[in-house]
Amino acid sequence: MQAFSFSSAPLEPERYHAAIEDPSAGGYASFEGWVRDHNEGRTVERLEYEAFESLAVKEGERIVAEAVAKFGVTRAACVHRVGSLAIGDLAVWVGVSSAHRGEAFAACRYIIDEVKHRVPVWKKEHYTDGDSGWVNCERCAAAAHDHEHAHDHSHAHGHPQSHATGDFSSPEHEHAAPVQHDYSRQIALPEVGRAGQAKLAAASVLVVGAGGLGVPVLQYLAVAGIGRIGIVDGDVIEASNLHRQPLYGIADVGRPKVAVAAERLRALNRDVRIETHETKATAANIDDLVTNYDLVVECTDNFRAKFLVSDAVVRALKPAVFASVHQYEGQVQVYRPLPHWPCLRCLWPEAPRDGMVGNCAEAGVLGPVPATLGALQAMQVLKRLLGLDAGEAPALVTVDLLSLETRRLIARRNPDCDHDHPGMPDHAASASAPLELEFATLAEAFESGLELVDIRETWERMHDPPGLQIPTHLPLSALVNGYLQFPTEGRYLIVCAHGVRSLSVTEQLRAQGLTEVYSLHGGLASLRS
Amino acid sequence: MNRIEIQYFAVLRERAGTGRETVDTAAATAAELYDELSARHDFGLPRGMLRVAVNDEFADWSRPLAAGDRVVFIPPVAGG
Repeated sequence: MQAFSFSSAPLEPERYHAAIEDPSAGGYASFEGWVRDHNEGRTVERLEYEAFESLAVKEGERIVAEAVAKFGVTRAACVHRVGSLAIGDLAVWVGVSSAHRGEAFAACRYIIDEVKHRVPVWKKEHYTDGDSGWVNCERCAAAAHDHEHAHDHSHAHGHPQSHATGDFSSPEHEHAAPVQHDYSRQIALPEVGRAGQAKLAAASVLVVGAGGLGVPVLQYLAVAGIGRIGIVDGDVIEASNLHRQPLYGIADVGRPKVAVAAERLRALNRDVRIETHETKATAANIDDLVTNYDLVVECTDNFRAKFLVSDAVVRALKPAVFASVHQYEGQVQVYRPLPHWPCLRCLWPEAPRDGMVGNCAEAGVLGPVPATLGALQAMQVLKRLLGLDAGEAPALVTVDLLSLETRRLIARRNPDCDHDHPGMPDHAASASAPLELEFATLAEAFESGLELVDIRETWERMHDPPGLQIPTHLPLSALVNGYLQFPTEGRYLIVCAHGVRSLSVTEQLRAQGLTEVYSLHGGLASLRS
Repeated sequence: MNRIEIQYFAVLRERAGTGRETVDTAAATAAELYDELSARHDFGLPRGMLRVAVNDEFADWSRPLAAGDRVVFIPPVAGG
């Protein structure tokens, strides 16, 4: 039988069924679309289908071939009625035989979704009031109508799909139906279609970090209809976040980011399942988190988390989208679990320590910079889930928001990278002794018996007279450049302005074997004078 | 001497005071070029922390330079 055909005579499912039987097939799935008695609140008596056959058959054959190739099924076919049909008549039939049921269902769903979206079929409805009218094919309707609901425009109406597509057949729903989220403007894209929308609805994405990058990522993924979104963040909202995280408001300050984000995203789109993980990403939890999602978006503001995520997605063979910003610039990198794709560690073999390159906490940023980079991340996620990234080579893309220049730098897998067995030890999680100590005052810190070491730059010390009481000064820039060495033994409390750089140095010293070295939690800014 | 187009990112741009410059240099490799520029602009960042891209492709520091090459120095950035 032909892969796709039209029939002006009543459809004969038994005959088609026999034609796609195959001894190697262990399963068969089919879909039947029937003429129903109403559309958009009007009672329908009968209807006529008309197709531009030469074009429509070609497109239909293409769809069936795509389904066979995509899902690896044994045989597939689709027959569409044309001519005059009465209520209850069979309007369209799809059948798939396959070794396994999963592929059979998926291919069947794909074919009917794509046929309704792409094949040019028109129908004329005859209403009980004697009126009649042509109704666009779905493709035209999706593009032309602003206000349609996620609504089945063809009368081909299958019971299994009825709720998913917004069936208002019951009288009590006629006027009380809640407004459905409307994806028509993305479904209208030929590369998306209903099949693409179904892929998004079936997908799950983990977003690590709900800050400047994470907010636009979460918003755009939620409204695009991603089925399940996980949010990882251990922070509470601070007033200084608001200029670049407009999902949150002044009244939210002090509340956990994940809780507020979940509320707002649920309000944006009830279709999406939001899962919150109120925690920092750590070596202890990252593998469990990553394993539960199809794709990971890395949106934190520190290298430790970025490398933690990179290592975890390499282990779990999951795709990931990374981004970072610095003042007016940003970088985006997509990772795919393919042999020639570089991970973050391939690109940056000497995993940078936080606070050593630039100073994230104090660098400052305008809101639209992370917003732009976050939107780029969301777009890369949709591309990956919809399969729109075929042929894309691995690269680091840099964006400069001042000059509006972007640059695509081709990146390769580093053969020296222990890509397959990575795992930077997360000292915060693995070390038995705490990395950070808290003190109320500088005097208390001195009383601890630890030698205080100020690693701030000289200019920072000059602006902070109390900090000058710390006699030992080893500026971080000098340590990084190797002009000064840290002693190989002793008991130290490392001090900087906010506790970010000191934590990095402490981790590094612990890794070098110094056991009694600690970082002042929160830095000098946290101390009472 | 080769004429090379250079572009800086992030903290290097701040230190250099410009996003791009064109230099005539005797540097034979990307590494030599960085060392020369680092001395001039006082970058204060060891090479090991950066990556270099030549003509829009990440390259090794030992990569030889030719006249007209476009060289980009990129530090990793972490802001979010």
